[in-house]
Amino acid sequence: MLGKLIKYDLKASAKLFILLHALFLAACIFCRMLFINRLDFIHSSEQSLVTAIAIITSLMIFLIVALNLGSWLLITFRFYRNLFSREGYLSWTLPVSGLQHLWSKIISGYMYMALSTVVIGAGVLILVSGRNVVEAYSTIEPEVTEELGMSISSFAVSLFLYSIFACISTVIMTYFCITVGQLFPGHRILCALAAYFITNLVVQFLSLFLAFAFGYSPGYSSAFISDGKPIAESIWGTITLSTFLMIILSILQYIITHIIIKKKVNLL
Amino acid sequence: MPWDLDNDRPIYLQLMERIQHDIISGVYQPGDKLPSVRDLALEAAVNPNTMQKALSELERSGLVYSQRTSGRFITDDKALLRRMKRELAEEHIQQFFDQMHHLGFSDEDTLDMITEALKGEKQ
Amino acid sequence: MRSILECQGLTKKYGDFFALSNLTLTLERGQIIGLLGPNGSGKTTLIKLANGLLIPTDGHIMINGLAPCPDTKKIVSYLPDRSFLNERMRISEILTFYSDFYDNFSMERAEKMLDALEIDRCARLRTLSKGNKEKTHLALVMSRDADLYILDEPIGGVDPAARDYILQTILTNYNENATVLISTHLIADIESILDRVIFLQNGQLALNALVDEIRTQYGKSVDALFREVFKC
Repeated sequence: MLGKLIKYDLKASAKLFILLHALFLAACIFCRMLFINRLDFIHSSEQSLVTAIAIITSLMIFLIVALNLGSWLLITFRFYRNLFSREGYLSWTLPVSGLQHLWSKIISGYMYMALSTVVIGAGVLILVSGRNVVEAYSTIEPEVTEELGMSISSFAVSLFLYSIFACISTVIMTYFCITVGQLFPGHRILCALAAYFITNLVVQFLSLFLAFAFGYSPGYSSAFISDGKPIAESIWGTITLSTFLMIILSILQYIITHIIIKKKVNLL
Repeated sequence: MPWDLDNDRPIYLQLMERIQHDIISGVYQPGDKLPSVRDLALEAAVNPNTMQKALSELERSGLVYSQRTSGRFITDDKALLRRMKRELAEEHIQQFFDQMHHLGFSDEDTLDMITEALKGEKQ
Repeated sequence: MRSILECQGLTKKYGDFFALSNLTLTLERGQIIGLLGPNGSGKTTLIKLANGLLIPTDGHIMINGLAPCPDTKKIVSYLPDRSFLNERMRISEILTFYSDFYDNFSMERAEKMLDALEIDRCARLRTLSKGNKEKTHLALVMSRDADLYILDEPIGGVDPAARDYILQTILTNYNENATVLISTHLIADIESILDRVIFLQNGQLALNALVDEIRTQYGKSVDALFREVFKC
């Protein structure tokens, strides 16, 4: 039954998901061919180069954020609509348990978020893999490698793996907020949003607190560099901390969601 | 078409009367097989259990009998059918006279009116 | 065999409001039962509790001896009082969905009913007329070989022809050992297909009797009695 649930969850958003991601990849290819491939890193003036790169970068960051938001909205609406709107009348009367519903949503949601991250990674790769970019980068490679404490590709791969892993906490946190929201039947969506902001606030506070406690405040990174420590150490410290925090929070959020789904679902 | 049912009397009684009427008036011939409970219930648009009860009551009166495997049949007992037809006719006549009494006609007046009405019909 | 549905001291509160209070009730197999009562009397609350869509505040509700769970959901076929399907799905996809999840779903029966309604399998649900949408919902629910059918207001706001279609569909498709629970406030329309009626008032049981018992005892239809008991 879990397999069938996952199948229908994936099917429900497949068309839009594929469309969005195909558009994104097309945009990346388009950008590479029309703009990046034409950049001349050696002969252009620094001023025009910086302007062009700034425009392209901000455009691509905007697209990446939009795509990520799109995937997130797809799984969020699927979860809410399928379990807590009128469609819930069918979902909750299928011969499956609440936990199977929850896990089906976690697995399908994670698959979509992870896949979205992979596509974003591929898009970035398309953007930066041109010969002119690679050649330009090779001139500053030793410096960067030293600062990072590893080659940029290992760094990118690590960051990518971390992002893929972080998707799970996004998914669980989203479901947690919606599920908490439905405890307040009059204001489900409002309370889900409130839960979202409160959780985010708590996470921000905790990570800031921990960062200070362990001395990894990003504001002090320049100090570390002058100490001769690579940026990487500060970044990895922050990432390790936030991973740790993420795991604990995800587990807590999962447990609460699990209990609510099992004992407290009231469709009004 | 759903059967017409009154609102103030038990449904199974009305179903019995209707089937009884159909048997006596010859819609179903002696020895005929009755449709199944389910089909009859569907035709009448009533609950199958209620139809079942009506048929069981009819069985008790002897108008229909059931054979374990092949269903329910109308009785072959022509004498019984005649007697029931007669009884039903008497019931109707009695009701008619009751109503005429109600209107203030004596039996003689009523009889005269019937004779006259019949004459009128023949012309 | 256990009775198909049993409530003991069943209570459901919304805030301070008692939607159901201390309801004790048993439904037997093989009956068509009308669940009657004015708006807000607890009909839909009882139905949702039976389907596990609500959690009781107090007391128990058992389907075939079990609290609502996947095993009871296998044997209960439920028609909610609102549209409950993803309206973007095509009819053919909905049919596949039902046969994927319900072992007792008869594709043959569903196909037959949809053919009679001349419903295009490629059409999306949202493109159907309101009447055909409701009939499609009922056809799906009645295509399951369930032990308990729970129909919440199946004839609310339909014309007489549609009502006859709905009653015929119910009578044709339920099996004799199954129980059908129909909630409605239009009693006159369905009185003749009921064995039994249950009146709810203010979340409590006001009457639980056979239709013909009521007619024999009171000399009036259930509808007339209902109007008398609940007159405003």
